[in-house]
Amino acid sequence: MPLQQDGSILNVTNVDIYYGTFQAVNNVSFDVKAGEIFGLLGPNGAGKTSTLSAVEGLIKPQSGNIVVAGYDIKEKSLYAKASMGVQLQANSFQSELNVAEIIQLFAGLYNVKLSDEKLKNILTDIKLEDSESKKFGQLSGGQQQRVSLALATIHHPKLLLLDEPTTGLDPQSRRQLWERMESMREQGHGILLTTHSMEEAEAVCDRIAIIDHGKIIAVNTPQSLIDLHRTDPKVIAASRKGRITLEDVFIGLTGREVRS
Amino acid sequence: MENIVPSTATAFTTLLRSDLKTQWRNRRSVILMLIIPVIILFSWKDIIDKIGGAFALSSCITIGLTAIGLMGYSNSVARDREKGIFQRLRTTPIPSWCIMISRIGVQLVMIMLVTLAVFLSGHYFDKITITPVGYVFALITAIVGGTVYLGLGQVIVGLIKNPETVASTTRLVYFAFIMIGMLGQFGILGDQLQKIVEWSPYGTVHTIITRSLEPSKWSKTTTEALLATIGYAVVFSIIGIKKFKWSNK
Repeated sequence: MPLQQDGSILNVTNVDIYYGTFQAVNNVSFDVKAGEIFGLLGPNGAGKTSTLSAVEGLIKPQSGNIVVAGYDIKEKSLYAKASMGVQLQANSFQSELNVAEIIQLFAGLYNVKLSDEKLKNILTDIKLEDSESKKFGQLSGGQQQRVSLALATIHHPKLLLLDEPTTGLDPQSRRQLWERMESMREQGHGILLTTHSMEEAEAVCDRIAIIDHGKIIAVNTPQSLIDLHRTDPKVIAASRKGRITLEDVFIGLTGREVRS
Repeated sequence: MENIVPSTATAFTTLLRSDLKTQWRNRRSVILMLIIPVIILFSWKDIIDKIGGAFALSSCITIGLTAIGLMGYSNSVARDREKGIFQRLRTTPIPSWCIMISRIGVQLVMIMLVTLAVFLSGHYFDKITITPVGYVFALITAIVGGTVYLGLGQVIVGLIKNPETVASTTRLVYFAFIMIGMLGQFGILGDQLQKIVEWSPYGTVHTIITRSLEPSKWSKTTTEALLATIGYAVVFSIIGIKKFKWSNK
């Protein structure tokens, strides 16, 4: 299936999501291009995960359209899902299965023929060649994250969705994950990532969208966002180090109030 | 690289293989489900002549079916939902119903295992002899009866989200079914309750299995019990599916 005419791999257009009478996502639109890392930033409860869940096909928006690699998620759900790889916030897999069995399961679900050699290559690639018979729960956080990313990319998806992928990782594991993401970008994968880490957003994202109270309030490259808002009094007030950072812009735009 | 949607058969086979492995690794629960009906049957050794071989076998099978539907199925679904396993599977290009049908497939295998274990124990420990037609017929009705308890398990995970609450509720319902069912059938709890138990999900399943073990005694009442069993299974399944949420959030 070809990309959209504008080269985007994901188009989210005017999406609204309600939970009962509460509107979690309000008229959200954005796109992710092939070979781009797009960050979705927002405070807790801003609508990041709801937006991502709609793209993943886990919840149905009340209105709007989501198109993945040319497939409408409502009408061609399975084709859209086959074109994306997903890493959820909770990396839970059947605790009774070992690493090799989990990889085999997901290879089957994504219609990937997995020879013993290919399985070995995947395990070597994620530096778990000696852990194939270990249960997922016996792995460290960094190892679990690597397995989870390997599963998300086992079918070489056009779009990769990562929900707060570096939460709880040590700096080494985090850097390694960033390098993997950058390598995927070079291979032409589009990546949509949610994160609370401004450092991460600045380090790896080509563009970011800041979402708050269900609405996208800014979309741009990290540096452009800083440049555009450096004279905003709220951003200046949020500054702690004398120079304006992305976090200052984020606090300036979304407020200092702690969200539940 | 073009991403290809797997055929439903491929997806289902992959899931079923993985779910069977998961069930097999939970050996403690598998053994418990197999052993409880066998122990009960063994303990009835001296009263088999009084209550009848078919009655004893069907009571033990019904107890096994109740455990599978209420404790095995609902607890595993509640636990995996809490851990987000279903949501992860639902992001893959397979129809969501495949996930549940695979789980039910595993429980059907368990139903057959429990039924065969009870047949074998009855034959070796209690010298109960049933015709080959009776065994085959009873295996089929055990599967039909099992769907009632799988449906009831589905209702419980549909109405209750917390896995600990699901576990305690299913234990309570299980013991209520077994105690009221068995004591009620023996008439210990009075005539009125005996009548109620007879047409309860416990009683109808028990009736159809007893009569299929002795096909010559199948009557109009047994057919009514079969219809009631199918009715319970359909109603429980509809409620359970309607109320079920894939995620606890």
